[in-house]
Amino acid sequence: MDPLAGMDDSSTDDDTASQTTEDDPQVPEHHLPPAPAPLPAQIPSTARVPAPAAREKPHYALRHTLRGHAESISAVKFSPDGKLLASCGAEKVVKIWSPETGEFLRNLSGHTAGLSDIAWSSDSVFLASASDDMHIRIWDIETGLTHKILKGHTKWVFCLNYNTASNLLVSGGCDGDVRIWNAARGKCMKTLHAHLDYVTAVHFNRDATLIVSCALDGLIRIWNTSDGQCLKTLAEGHDAICQHVQFSPNSKYILSTAHDSAIRLWDYQTTRCLKTYTGHVNSKYCISACFSVTGGKWIVAGSEDHKTYIWDLQTREIVQILEGHTDVVVAVATHPTQNMIATGSIDSDLAIRIWVDRGPRPSA
Amino acid sequence: MNESLINPFSISHPTAVQTSLFATALFAKFDPSGRYIAAGRANGSAEIWDLETRAPIRWLDGHVKALTSLDWSRNSRFILTSAKDWNVVIWDLASKSDPLQRHNTIRFDAPVASASFHPRNSQVILALLTTGDAYVVDLRKEHRSRTELYEVLEESEEEEPSRPGMTCARFDPSGKHIFVGTTAGSLLVFNTRTKTMIARHKISGAGTMKGLEFSKSGRRLVTNSSDRTLRQFVVPTYPHPSSIPPINAGVNMKMAVDGEEPEPGAIDEQEPGAIDEQEPGSIDEPQQHENQEPGYIEQELEPTHRFSDPISKTAWHAMSYSPDGEWLAGGAADPAGHKIYIWDISNDGQLASALDGGREPLSHLHWHHTKSCIASTTIHGNILIWHCPSPERWGAFAGGFEEVDENVEYEEKEDEFDIEDAAVIFARKMKAEEEEVDIDTGSEPVAKPIPGGTSADDEDIAWAEEEPDGDDKLGWAMHVVMDDGEGDDYL
Repeated sequence: MDPLAGMDDSSTDDDTASQTTEDDPQVPEHHLPPAPAPLPAQIPSTARVPAPAAREKPHYALRHTLRGHAESISAVKFSPDGKLLASCGAEKVVKIWSPETGEFLRNLSGHTAGLSDIAWSSDSVFLASASDDMHIRIWDIETGLTHKILKGHTKWVFCLNYNTASNLLVSGGCDGDVRIWNAARGKCMKTLHAHLDYVTAVHFNRDATLIVSCALDGLIRIWNTSDGQCLKTLAEGHDAICQHVQFSPNSKYILSTAHDSAIRLWDYQTTRCLKTYTGHVNSKYCISACFSVTGGKWIVAGSEDHKTYIWDLQTREIVQILEGHTDVVVAVATHPTQNMIATGSIDSDLAIRIWVDRGPRPSA
Repeated sequence: MNESLINPFSISHPTAVQTSLFATALFAKFDPSGRYIAAGRANGSAEIWDLETRAPIRWLDGHVKALTSLDWSRNSRFILTSAKDWNVVIWDLASKSDPLQRHNTIRFDAPVASASFHPRNSQVILALLTTGDAYVVDLRKEHRSRTELYEVLEESEEEEPSRPGMTCARFDPSGKHIFVGTTAGSLLVFNTRTKTMIARHKISGAGTMKGLEFSKSGRRLVTNSSDRTLRQFVVPTYPHPSSIPPINAGVNMKMAVDGEEPEPGAIDEQEPGAIDEQEPGSIDEPQQHENQEPGYIEQELEPTHRFSDPISKTAWHAMSYSPDGEWLAGGAADPAGHKIYIWDISNDGQLASALDGGREPLSHLHWHHTKSCIASTTIHGNILIWHCPSPERWGAFAGGFEEVDENVEYEEKEDEFDIEDAAVIFARKMKAEEEEVDIDTGSEPVAKPIPGGTSADDEDIAWAEEEPDGDDKLGWAMHVVMDDGEGDDYL
């Protein structure tokens, strides 16, 4: 596939910071050779194991391509109520989109350097953004104004997350520190000198008693939120520098992505790796993975071969590959209630794509 | 859920102050979820603190005089405050209004000494006035009423028996019974549904009752009285109200319900011989059978333990059980210091520890509902949060490293240095990975069972659960109110 194919058809609205809706009948022709319908059909050929046929498979198809970012995208996140999609990248603004229509809604501007991560509060009212200007901003989505500026990190802020109650924020910086913030007051409550290198992901478990962090020093650490003590360290192999980590929805396991092109599901109580998902390419970029639990149970992650991979949680087989991006897919997010995936890409692509699973199609 | 990771040792009692909150509080109570603490203040306001951020998050301004007590509903959605301004106010924390508005106000004709929610339905409220009268207020549409609890007095020769004042009143954890302490040193038990007195326990030597507290399971009860002794009792099981002989009870019942006729059904349902079907361990009152006289049980209760300070004979301000009922904490009314005594109930009530919280005397104390954590309030209004500090485990910083308490001779395993075929290891690993994992279920918050059974087998519980109050855990979440006040460095 011509890597510029995607760029061509969107050139018309690139400069208007708007979006293309792929539902447009004339677009799919030259844009996506494996257009929605044939996509599921090619799965058996790419699956590593002969399909056991009994298991259900996802049928994601491209719904929208959102264009507007002028620099590499670093994160995309659905709001917990599912109504909005936020994205950020190297260009100092957070963009808010409607995942349903693909419409661009608003820019949140105020940061003075690029952004690495964003996080929604549970009520979808606030959004926090982590920036290279060393600050975190909490935005009121309704008004688009900055509610709080959280100052304290001494280097670029790389990752952040709210807890379920959304009274706490945890952030990780490039100085190796993890900070816990009182979200309502915007004050730093605790600093953990957690790692020796860039902290690339931090995440609270469901009841916020634990924090998991990972860094480019190759370690995954679990912390007690209330007293800041390190409870456990999980180390992978030398080549497996971990770049993203999160708790499973029930907080029993953690999912990590590493630079040996493998995604691992850990039982952190026993320090045992339960599942390994491979087949994608990930050796250079900080690529995130996520759980998809709205339909079948999948693991979704981007890849450096410009594709997005979907694995079956249990069998570890690749069950679908989403093609369409023309550069490395670094950001992925799954919708909280619908079978919807958002992916974001860097450098030469700069688009966010929204994929929707409407169930198996009667053979088109 | 992460008990095994966080606390490798079994639960113990708190030993050190973790933090202190400058709350100008008279008393402070944890909520059942354990995430918040509510502080009642002398100016009539109450403050809710978030224990995670250790910052106040809600201000409840509704009284004009000092608060006297405060209670949380079972899932923390509603709060009740009682005050010396004759009012009980109920607050709904799920409300989005800021500042929070009163959800309901109940006015009495005297200062309210204490008030509490029914453990199963926050629309049923027990209030004790400083005049020594106790009321059950039912706010449900079907049952709307305000009933005074009357002690049934023995008919004696004396012409005017003076009714002893009530000094403390509590629902038991099942909500079926109300326990009331009196100035005469007796403990009265009322049925919550019928509001009739079902038992009177004389506690010899106690003097005026000053407080009473149940363990979570409802099996144990501790009382505080003017003789400066805490007494622990095993809570007797009471026969079902319908099994109390109705013959003469009618007279007493009528006195007790204050104009409200007891439901005749409840009495008529009694089967002959029901009294003989009592569970073992319940009070068998032979005298009741013989003279068919009172509709209540008259029995002296013998404490299983007595706790007191034998040397300085200090009085007690407050006491609280640990969540598992294994420990009892007593706050000493020591004017010169802040002392908490902890007794080990499972170990025959031995004194386990005396915690020293500094110079500021203690005024109140409350044990966390799930954790090994105590909140004690000083007379200067500071709330001390006690916890059990866990030692730093430096071994946690190294992956695959295990700390051992003492040196052990390492024994090499038989196959430890065997060279295995990488392919075999890989195949075994792949095999192990076939195992199914569950990533999204099993950690949903489950409602804690309330002791006393379910509505299916008990009409008292069925009654209490009529017209639910809407306080179910999944139904609400405390929304975060952004603080726009001081420290706001927004451009």
